[in-house]
Amino acid sequence: MKGREMRAGAMNRGRTGGLRRAPQYLALAAYVVFLAFPLVWLLSTALKTPQEMAQADPTWIPREPTLANFADAFDEQDLVGAATRSLVVALFASVITVVIALPAAYAMARYRSLVNRIAIGWVLVSQVFPFILIIIPLFLILRDMELVNTLPGLVIVHVTFTLPFALWMLQGYVRAVPPELEEAAAVDGAGRLRSITGVVAPLLAPGVVATLLFAFISSWNEFLFALVVLQDPDVMTLPLTLARFVGPEGVARLGPLAAASLMATIPSLIFFAIIQRRLKSGLMAGAVKG
Amino acid sequence: MRMKSALAAAAVVALAAACGSGGSGGSGGEAAKPGEPVKLNFLSLAWQKESLAANKQLVEEWNKANPGIQVTYVQGSWDNVNDQLVTQFAGGTAPDVIHNDSPALSGFAADGYLLDLSDKLPAELKSDIPQQSWDTVTFDDGKGKQGVYGVPFLQESQVIIANKKLLDAAGVRLPTTEQPWTWDEFSAAAKKMTKDGTFGVAWPMKSPVNKTLNLALNFGGTFFQTAEGKTTVKVGPEEKQVLQRIHDQLYKDKSADPAALGQGTADPLPAFYKGKFAMLPAGVYLRQQVAEQAPDGFEWVTLPPLKGTTTQQGAVSQTLSIAQDSKHPDEAMKFISFFLNGPNQAKLAKGDWLLPTSVKAAADPSITTKENGWDVATASAKALVVAPFLKVNGFDEWKSKVATPVLQEYYANKITIDEAAKRLVEDGNQVLERYQR
Amino acid sequence: MTATVTKPPAPPARHVRRARRSRRSREMWLLMLPALVPVVLFSVGPLLYGIGLAFTDARNTRAHETTFVGLDNFVQLMGDDDFWSSFRIGVVWSVSVTVLQFLAALGLALLLNQNLRFRGVARVLAVVPWAMPPVVIGLMWKLVYHPDAGILNSLLGTDINWLADFSLALPAIIVVGVWTGMPQTAVVLLAGLQGIPRELYEAVEVDGAGRWRRFWNITLPQLKPVIVAITSLDFVWNFNQFGLVYVLTQGGPGGRTRLPMLFAYEEAFRYRYAGYASMLGLAMAIVVLAVLGLYLWRQMREAR
Repeated sequence: MKGREMRAGAMNRGRTGGLRRAPQYLALAAYVVFLAFPLVWLLSTALKTPQEMAQADPTWIPREPTLANFADAFDEQDLVGAATRSLVVALFASVITVVIALPAAYAMARYRSLVNRIAIGWVLVSQVFPFILIIIPLFLILRDMELVNTLPGLVIVHVTFTLPFALWMLQGYVRAVPPELEEAAAVDGAGRLRSITGVVAPLLAPGVVATLLFAFISSWNEFLFALVVLQDPDVMTLPLTLARFVGPEGVARLGPLAAASLMATIPSLIFFAIIQRRLKSGLMAGAVKG
Repeated sequence: MRMKSALAAAAVVALAAACGSGGSGGSGGEAAKPGEPVKLNFLSLAWQKESLAANKQLVEEWNKANPGIQVTYVQGSWDNVNDQLVTQFAGGTAPDVIHNDSPALSGFAADGYLLDLSDKLPAELKSDIPQQSWDTVTFDDGKGKQGVYGVPFLQESQVIIANKKLLDAAGVRLPTTEQPWTWDEFSAAAKKMTKDGTFGVAWPMKSPVNKTLNLALNFGGTFFQTAEGKTTVKVGPEEKQVLQRIHDQLYKDKSADPAALGQGTADPLPAFYKGKFAMLPAGVYLRQQVAEQAPDGFEWVTLPPLKGTTTQQGAVSQTLSIAQDSKHPDEAMKFISFFLNGPNQAKLAKGDWLLPTSVKAAADPSITTKENGWDVATASAKALVVAPFLKVNGFDEWKSKVATPVLQEYYANKITIDEAAKRLVEDGNQVLERYQR
Repeated sequence: MTATVTKPPAPPARHVRRARRSRRSREMWLLMLPALVPVVLFSVGPLLYGIGLAFTDARNTRAHETTFVGLDNFVQLMGDDDFWSSFRIGVVWSVSVTVLQFLAALGLALLLNQNLRFRGVARVLAVVPWAMPPVVIGLMWKLVYHPDAGILNSLLGTDINWLADFSLALPAIIVVGVWTGMPQTAVVLLAGLQGIPRELYEAVEVDGAGRWRRFWNITLPQLKPVIVAITSLDFVWNFNQFGLVYVLTQGGPGGRTRLPMLFAYEEAFRYRYAGYASMLGLAMAIVVLAVLGLYLWRQMREAR
């Protein structure tokens, strides 16, 4: 009985495909509205005058759009310089993180030994113990290595603190690849390395991309460490620059802040737009439906 | 094996580096070689457009006139300056000249991170700023010695920003600096203005403690008492006055807008412009936002501080301090005395819409004009006295663990005034105990 | 056959195994090494130092001599009522945010994995909360929840003071927590979905298994390692979160949204009791690790 219904369902799918998808489109639209509405808000706020911003009945479309907020934001702060530095830091930090995490994650997932159990334990401990409590000792180490006030210092910190996540996630993705696939390739006569690059790598690509994205965005948005490590105006990164539009007690200059935040959000989105295609692995293209 | 021992060695090195800290060797600006200019870092928290411009311009002016002492302007932010300083002080890399406010100074002074300026202050600067302002920056150094840990320059007082149309329509006597409203008159006026969905007043009490404590001085409420070297919390009839009066406006007279209660100071402004309520008690700086944002045709006035038994209010001032680790304290002092001289303070005060401590600056025509309520605001500085809580060791913890939740619950009508008083005192004394061991 | 003859006599089996094991262990070290260096240099030291502080009366001040106090901090912590009440809030917060985040993200990931039109655009838009600078997120949600000028009240036609209401404030910030963390979880799950070998689906396709069964019998089990990894990390992160909530409510009203990590932060950075703060952090880390250990152990056992 049950089986018949299901088979019938499977046949139906072909015919009423368009209609069947309607709820899915609706759900997706709901998600997108819920998650992406701030983009519209940022844009609208960035274009408003102070008077319009303080209206009790806010509108989405500014009545008298102005570019003054952008002008103020770029006049007062070196946003372009800060964004460039942030980009360099985030690119280095994310690429280094993934490059060193990938082999280690593979080892953690495939070799069972005491060492990698310790490694897994370590990854968790380092995430569980509150970051704010180790910020001072870490700062002192950086100072003694003369890395304070330098961008490489910041890159090192970002790598150190995204590494646990990267390891943890990547070993999850490696585990999700059935070892049999790898063994099968090895039996086929491919060398070990070849079996990794040829079989495992394509399956891992989406996971690597997700991890890369995580590392990039974490670094791009990281605030607290940049705050204490960087002191000269000419090494400051973007999050520090943005914080300057906020005053005491959460009072902020919303207009310039929104304008600057818009400029800070878009690079991450572009970066994601470029690499999101890779979230679909070469081998798996179109495989997973329904 | 070899690798393991190498790793172990690395771990030891890292540990040693971490433990052997002790704040050795400050690096707030490198030691100047002869012939090279001294370099100072100036951490500023200015954030408003006009004040940012004023700050940058003054630094530029200084750098042009003093090739031997070059100041780098570093912009920080109020939100996280505390985290930044605690960490950088621990590492000995804090900026030379530090902008902050007096409540934060007492902690850093007791920690030994700030330089005592007592015998560095030039006479001219010292005499230009009245003693009551110096009191806001005079603290115990943690070992029982009093020192001056900053130069106070901008102060805030609580005034009332009012919707002129609603005020006029109520037909009440307009208060002046000479003849301010008493709290009774204020309550009566608020009641009169409450009608047709309009409230007389709005009390944004998201952070209720400083506001309440500063106003409590109107009735002589100090909240703390010290006997035999031991400080305890005190909530008597004087302290209860302001608490009760605000509570009455909310729940007895129903003349205060309940929606504003959980908001930050600036959050009710949209409703204010719309005429949802007539009066907003606020710090003088809020005038800036009103002037910038109010819709065309919206008329507003600044009313002078209220009078209880006195018009006294607790003062908090913004300050410039010098780091203990600074290599060039004398040069830093020179820069500060330039930066905070009369004319410059007037510029800074105007930029931040606050009140200067400098007597010379307070007479500056630009901040005594009728426009935007400057005359009322500047005159209100006379009633500022040092807030007693500034000197209480452990105030910060009392504020955040005890007073904030208790006052929030009281203003939300969840507990009675006696329960509130009891918790403020009993839980409070327990907190203070920790600092008096 | 002749080849075997020319081969040297096989070494005793024990040796082979040992040799292979040592080769494998060398391989493993080689693979792990690049990641170990930064961890050992910049993470182990500070962490051990931080843990060590928990047993001292250290203060973040210069004018203080630190001494070893054993378990004093722990005893004090156990008797700290404020800590316990915030601990309860922390548990409610982190469990509900993690669970809701996971469910919402799984739904989103499944949708984004469909062959729908505009999928690429939707994927990019779905990561907006993640890409937005944290400094502006808090300010924006404050405006969403604004009682007079807020989007939410005008949308629902209500007149609620969300963030100041004693019973609604926590749910309100939980929504913000779910919102901020969802994209990250969704991207991770989406990547996991893409890694499921197609053959597995083809095999059951022949059986004509329905969507629900395919999800239940293939997608979910295949995704399990990724789900376990991301939910446990989400839980840890949520437990350690406080910055966003602090911007929105500062722990109010009446302490209803005071997350435990706010405590540790204030102890260390505001009151400068570094030793006590470290003990606080350590105690919470142990609790979280215990919960996590149990969860992971069960998952791993099922997996075998």
